[in-house]
Amino acid sequence: MGIEPGRLHFSWISSAESTKFVKVATEVTQAVKELGPNRHFVKEKVKVA
Amino acid sequence: MQEYTDKIRQIARRLLEEGTVDMVIGFRKGSMPIMNEPCMVRRPQDVDQLVWDSNCGINLANYLTDRKEKIGVVAKGCDSRNIVTHIIENKIDRDQLHIIGVPCGAMIDKRKIASLVEGEITDVTETEAGKVIVKGEGFEKSFDKAEVLQENCAICIHRNPVVHDEMVAEPVEEQTDVDRYADIREIEAMSDAERKAFFDDLYKECIRCYACRNACPLCYCPTCFVDESRPQWVGKGQNENDIRTFHFLRAYHCAGRCTDCGACERACPVGIKVRMLTKKLEKDCKELFDWEAGISLENRPPLDAYRPNDPDEFIK
Amino acid sequence: MSEWEPKIVSFLCNWCSYGAADLAGVGRMEYPANIRVIRIPCTGRMSPKFALAALREGADGVWVSG
Repeated sequence: MGIEPGRLHFSWISSAESTKFVKVATEVTQAVKELGPNRHFVKEKVKVA
Repeated sequence: MQEYTDKIRQIARRLLEEGTVDMVIGFRKGSMPIMNEPCMVRRPQDVDQLVWDSNCGINLANYLTDRKEKIGVVAKGCDSRNIVTHIIENKIDRDQLHIIGVPCGAMIDKRKIASLVEGEITDVTETEAGKVIVKGEGFEKSFDKAEVLQENCAICIHRNPVVHDEMVAEPVEEQTDVDRYADIREIEAMSDAERKAFFDDLYKECIRCYACRNACPLCYCPTCFVDESRPQWVGKGQNENDIRTFHFLRAYHCAGRCTDCGACERACPVGIKVRMLTKKLEKDCKELFDWEAGISLENRPPLDAYRPNDPDEFIK
Repeated sequence: MSEWEPKIVSFLCNWCSYGAADLAGVGRMEYPANIRVIRIPCTGRMSPKFALAALREGADGVWVSG
């Protein structure tokens, strides 16, 4: 509906799993980088002169 | 249809005279053709206002939330499912209600009829043979009722009320060979870009009147997210992202609760097919949780109960 | 700025992933700096309006972690 599937991620990480946190954080960043900047859903700020 | 009307009046009169209920919610003739309006009857002498025909598409479950008195309510299939949802969500007590079940013969779509004729419609009547006769300034046309049904009624598989205290007539035969989700599968097969274009086109006419929200029996939050201003989750203007946000969130709030009664689509003044959004969620609930909203009073809806076998493939 | 870097808004549960992030910090592990953390009391606090609001305000990605 305008949001690419790779822009929204869900995960389940216990508070003891810092290695998994680092791994998932890297994966999420990678996935979003591949998609490029979000253009579809950004609300343009109203320009005030 | 006349038998239905007579029977509804007779039941309503009895309930009010006996004092079983304080009021009966039903339909009366609207001031315009094809537009019946909800009607609250409190005195036995007023029951003759009540009618039943194929223009009773408004969902009467909408008028039940947070009421304190005893209510008799006229309910077709979808209304009864929304009443079940209200009971599950503690918006009304089952003991407060006397449900007058109406086996539904499907409702007709005023917009379809208006598109089939030219000029103002002054009268719409129905014959026993399943014809709809439309009269207006200098014309009279007859259509098959099946041609002019509301889209949700054409694919309805729960025409008979699921809960009722008494029925107005014998149950009607349910449709079994309908494909409820053909249009949704088409959308699912689209690419991301096509889908975005499809939805942008779908709600491009939206004027943010919130009629879909107001007509919906599920929408009863004291403050709707669109009216919250601190923080403001969604802007109030015609910005395309705000329109999108409104429609997404409205649809999500109905997930696992929507009974596809069609009230939202019927209420939309610009004819947006808002059901396209809720229907996808309904399909997912059916496929992932084998859930149809408002069918039983015992089961908890999938979104407020945890089961170990809930699907979780999307979670890393 | 030489290369575009995404901004990812992450909603982390206080008791799970936020703890994991804390532990990762204590353990001096390295992870991408694109993550902007918002701590929520529980993943149950998450609402679709948060995700949409983040995207609307210009986030490139949203990550919800329990």
